Amino acid sequence: MKLNQRILTSAILILLGLVIAMVPENTTRPYKLTPQQMVEEISIGTEMIQPDELADWLINNDPTLQLIDVRDPDAFDQFHLPGAVNIPLKDLLSDEWVDYLDQDVKMNVLYSNGTTKAHNCWMILDQLGYENNYVLQGGLNYWVETILNPQKPGAAVSDDELARYDFRKGASQALGGGIQTASPAVDKPKKAKPPVKRRKKKKAPEGGC
Amino acid sequence: MGPLFPQEIISGNWNLFLAFIMGILFGFILEQAGFSSSRKLVGVFYGYDTVVLKVFLTAAVTAMLGLLYFSLFGWIDLSLVYVNPTYLWPTIVGGIIMGVGFIMGGYCPGTSLCASAIGKIDAMFFFGGIFIGIFFFAEGYPLVKHFYMSGFMGAPKAYELLGISGGVFALLVIIAAALMFWGGEWAEKKFPREEY
Repeated sequence: MKLNQRILTSAILILLGLVIAMVPENTTRPYKLTPQQMVEEISIGTEMIQPDELADWLINNDPTLQLIDVRDPDAFDQFHLPGAVNIPLKDLLSDEWVDYLDQDVKMNVLYSNGTTKAHNCWMILDQLGYENNYVLQGGLNYWVETILNPQKPGAAVSDDELARYDFRKGASQALGGGIQTASPAVDKPKKAKPPVKRRKKKKAPEGGC
Repeated sequence: MGPLFPQEIISGNWNLFLAFIMGILFGFILEQAGFSSSRKLVGVFYGYDTVVLKVFLTAAVTAMLGLLYFSLFGWIDLSLVYVNPTYLWPTIVGGIIMGVGFIMGGYCPGTSLCASAIGKIDAMFFFGGIFIGIFFFAEGYPLVKHFYMSGFMGAPKAYELLGISGGVFALLVIIAAALMFWGGEWAEKKFPREEY
């Protein structure tokens, strides 16, 4: 009787071992968010980074910034933002890049030409529970349009807008864009004054809370 | 502790409190299982009592099957389970030192505490010896530092090194365990001891 029990236990264990040896390993990575949570995240839209914010970080060499180019290697080789790493959409889940994408030290800003591809990547990463991933608003196209080649606003715009234009022009020079080389020199003194004033005024109430 | 502390489900204080409770339970069960007897413990080296072998292999097989089935059902992500990094050469030497100490002293570190708690004087000496060992290791660390860090292999898993799947490796371990149980019981009959 005693022996039978031992044989029975061994047989069960070996059977369990046989089953586990024959089934394929579960390599699926579970998604962490429910569809409802995902809808909420998207509707809040906190993953978006404005090009002006990004330009500011790039100029200041913010060490926590990590740019991630999700386009094809060919497109990456032609043009990419300074310091960006190329993680094409199809390589997104490879083990090679997991240290870049799943971390809590740096702030990843994903970009593609538009926003669709970057957003696709972001949604997958967000579902996997990876944090600190963001998307560049408007993608590279909007970046070129607003930061590298800013259009001078008309006369009837707010000072804020002028200030932004001024910043973008500076950023454009710093980040190697800009086709208009003649006009900045003329515009500079005009535009340089208002933003300084505006910013000072604006900052006081902001700091209040 | 477990996934609770690293995932910030419980605080550090709760972690210590749970560790305290589980430590008491662990010690109690060790004592109840007879692991506070040095003669029982070293019996595995002489063959008259192989309960240590059986307990450790049972624990390994249970945990291994549990983890593999949990992973299969998607209840646990094995890639998140911490695996101690391997330093090959110091591990081998450390294992030999540990084994020799085990035979000579009659205890391993945990069971020496357990036996001290029920008042065994040899266990208290053993426990004191641990601190002497710690002292000499700490003071002599610069001398052994190079060796201590040698043979680093990352955190590989045995089945990865062998190039087989985790499930097949598990089956092999189970078969090996069954054979060792059988061998252990055979040894107990072959080298019996009346009282120990």
